Amino acid sequence: MIAYIIRRLLLLPLILFGVTILIFGMLELLGPEKLVSAYIRGPEAEKVAGATQKIIEKYGLDKPLPVKYERWLGNVLKGDLGWSLVGKQPVLSAILSRFPYTLELALWAIIPVVFVGIWLGIISAVHHNKFLDHFLRVFAIIGWSFPDFVFGLFMILIFYTQLGWFPPGYLSFDMERVVTSSQFVNYTKMVTIDSILNLRFDVFLDALRHLIAPVITLAYLWWAYILRITRSSMLEVLRKEYIRTARAKGLSEDVVINKHARRNALIPVATVSGQMIIALLAGTVIIESVFNRPGLGRFVAMAATQLDYMSIIGGALFYSILLVLGNLIVDVSYALIDPRIRLQ
Amino acid sequence: MWRKFLILSVVLVISIFSFAAVKNPDTVIVATIGEADTLDPHFAYDTASGEVLFNTYDCLIQYKGESIKEFEPRISTAVPSVENGLIKDDGKTYVFPIRKGVKFHNGNDLTPEDVEYSFERGILFDPAGGPMWMIIEALFGEYTWEDVVMNHVKLRTGKDMAYSDLFAENGEPKPEYAKYLMEAYRDILDPAIEVEGDNVVFHLVRPFAPILYILAQGSSWSSILDKETCIEKGLWDGKADTWWKYHDLPKEESPLYAFENGSGPFKLVEWNREQQKVILERFDDYWNGPAKIKRAIIWGIDEFSTRKAMLEKGDVDVCYVPAQYLSQVEGMPGVTVKKGLPTVSITSLHFNWTVAEGSEYIGSGKLDGNGVPRDFFTDINVRKAFVHAFNYDAFIEDVLNGMGERVPSDLPTGFLGYNPDLPLYKFDLKAAKAALQQAWNGEVWTKGFKMSLLYNTGNEARQTAAEMLKYYIESLNPKFKIEVQGVQWPNYLSAYKRGLLPAFIIGWLADYPDPHNFIFTYYHSQGVYGGPQGEAYKEWARENLDALIEQAVQEIDPAKRQALYEEIQKIAIENYIGMPLYQPLAIRVQRDWLKGWYRNPMRPGEDFYAYWKEE
Repeated sequence: MIAYIIRRLLLLPLILFGVTILIFGMLELLGPEKLVSAYIRGPEAEKVAGATQKIIEKYGLDKPLPVKYERWLGNVLKGDLGWSLVGKQPVLSAILSRFPYTLELALWAIIPVVFVGIWLGIISAVHHNKFLDHFLRVFAIIGWSFPDFVFGLFMILIFYTQLGWFPPGYLSFDMERVVTSSQFVNYTKMVTIDSILNLRFDVFLDALRHLIAPVITLAYLWWAYILRITRSSMLEVLRKEYIRTARAKGLSEDVVINKHARRNALIPVATVSGQMIIALLAGTVIIESVFNRPGLGRFVAMAATQLDYMSIIGGALFYSILLVLGNLIVDVSYALIDPRIRLQ
Repeated sequence: MWRKFLILSVVLVISIFSFAAVKNPDTVIVATIGEADTLDPHFAYDTASGEVLFNTYDCLIQYKGESIKEFEPRISTAVPSVENGLIKDDGKTYVFPIRKGVKFHNGNDLTPEDVEYSFERGILFDPAGGPMWMIIEALFGEYTWEDVVMNHVKLRTGKDMAYSDLFAENGEPKPEYAKYLMEAYRDILDPAIEVEGDNVVFHLVRPFAPILYILAQGSSWSSILDKETCIEKGLWDGKADTWWKYHDLPKEESPLYAFENGSGPFKLVEWNREQQKVILERFDDYWNGPAKIKRAIIWGIDEFSTRKAMLEKGDVDVCYVPAQYLSQVEGMPGVTVKKGLPTVSITSLHFNWTVAEGSEYIGSGKLDGNGVPRDFFTDINVRKAFVHAFNYDAFIEDVLNGMGERVPSDLPTGFLGYNPDLPLYKFDLKAAKAALQQAWNGEVWTKGFKMSLLYNTGNEARQTAAEMLKYYIESLNPKFKIEVQGVQWPNYLSAYKRGLLPAFIIGWLADYPDPHNFIFTYYHSQGVYGGPQGEAYKEWARENLDALIEQAVQEIDPAKRQALYEEIQKIAIENYIGMPLYQPLAIRVQRDWLKGWYRNPMRPGEDFYAYWKEE
């Protein structure tokens, strides 16, 4: 197992090299006149003839690919990922300062997604082809097929505009002032955790209040996914012979389901959940925009549309690391959960 | 029992959540899109940055309330005029008496030396693509500080070189040129802006009528910095033999990128880049008395529906509403909507008289029915036909929903030189047809042509304008083909810059409300839109317009200037230089309880100093 992990980690730099070369190459195809558009706002922005050309030269946009890549790589090895035009700060801090927001939302969303999703999946499987099964599947599939921005806007319309319960944003202004004050220590930069550590439960409640609507939206979108995996895996397990044996022994249905069937049915769910968590950590552009929350998804999406190439490459680098490490953890935990699987 | 408890706790939770946020009476919150680009006043050149700088810095003079023609004193205690003797030497010298007792946010006193330093630093810094060209043009008649320096080097050495030739590999000036660089500061810039007692005096190389408009700061370039703090922070140290180290630095290397120590009515508390939020706080020692509100927040909220919901709940006071969504906020309780506000911007279509070689937008490149020659638009008849083949009024009414105004030339209404009696181009398909029948000795009509019109995707107004023009031109003769092509903005920019587009739709937002800013840009051979109109146009402009435009900018008598600008516009109109499509009209959406707002189209954003809130 250790050897497996090391082997996978050794591959990481190679993957990162491949990814960055690929992105550099793609951006190179655009040419300097297009790359410069990240530095100016419109054709109207050139108020002095020749200014754009000067900007191209100043930022070295017309340099050949190897020169650019070498310079970039040299800086990266020194820990400098360049300047993010979109983030208005160095790329590394732009990513790191936005990641806690994304992580926080993901962590909160995972709880209802996984637990409720699994619960619904088991109910569905147990009531196989009965009304409840059909109802839950239709309910979940609606969520899966709903465009997330529409559902998000519905949430805002109902819970903010109509009821006034869950406002968009991250914190209310008063609480934000508390968080930015010098007495408040930011340990993790995730306000729901920091507020508890600082014993400021008013801040915690306020943060929670801003989290509920996006979490419900995310959860509803992902339930179908977990539900279907749990359901099919559960159905498969329920047909296994050891379940029949368990029932034959005269065990109650609760024990059969909860003790014998569920544990085995959850193995594929663990894999899928791992991948889902990675997807959530990459940021959810729409949810972040609709609920006006800061986060990585919005940042990378904006960088892509504005051709801010330093941010694009930095973002890709970060995602690659996330993906490789995340998959590694999923693989390892898979082996831990299921003793039948041995990593080679 | 437990069920009762559950219901009770749900009710409790709901009542906590439904407790609406207190709408702070002493805070104004603006929901907008985008965020500031940089807070260095000499680099910032967009309205989002300008809005922050406008509220945190002060400048010598200022536009008076809603006017874009009258000024009021700020850091200068008087607005220079010939009558009060502060404009001298036939308009070549401007004197600004500096106010005493003005404090910067850190408590430092504002002195005439700070004013001198601010302008000198800006000119020496002169970042590419930045705003400093305005002041450099006003003082020296050039557009970049590098041009000023190179003129001096040429004068002294007789050699024509590039600015980069003066420097060695390590970035230090080559020994033989170092002295010229020093001279450029000592003999040219330093004497141009001088402190004389309590006054700061500007010496211009020639009269330049728009200078007061430039100093009255649409947004940022005329802001007064605190010399002491700036040097501490690592800005130019004020010496003649170091300035080039501080010239044209990348945006992020400016120490003022996210820092301010201005003397304006508000202080910057936080620029939260993750949340796209700028928080300003009242400066209690402001020389003109503290602002009425305590705090101002400018918040970038990308999604319109979210902004709208927050406006509806009163959580934001001002909301940016794109014109197509206007109907969603009209009639919203507690919300004021104002329409038809004038702007200082023009959108027009111009022709390229010499399309660059290799353009894929002119078909075969020949007049054979499958393309147009590169110099297609040098024939006045072709331009005339295009100009008449557009239904301007329908476009404004139906496409812009009335949010635009027609103008006879590329000069907005309300500007000096604007004359409502100048003729507007008519939508006249007969005239268009007749002109095309004559164009290129009738060859256009018999052979037909094919070309592309581009727009940047997402800009629906430009798209529809291009499609309308296509529709009408193609209706004249089945042999005429115009392809309307949407491209991403970077591609549009690149094609336009290379002169590949046979015609282009483009806008201009005023830097300062003087006709020179528009007339020069669109019509002068060296104007920013002169180049993309092709070599043949530039030649024509040199013969017909350049001299008049230069004469007009040096004239101080407004009546004579008016006549000159009218003449220039007449020539442009008679020669069908472009199609002025519209001058956009703006909308304003805010809560009723926000008081003190006024419309001045030159303001980069909100003037928080004027605001207060009451039911």
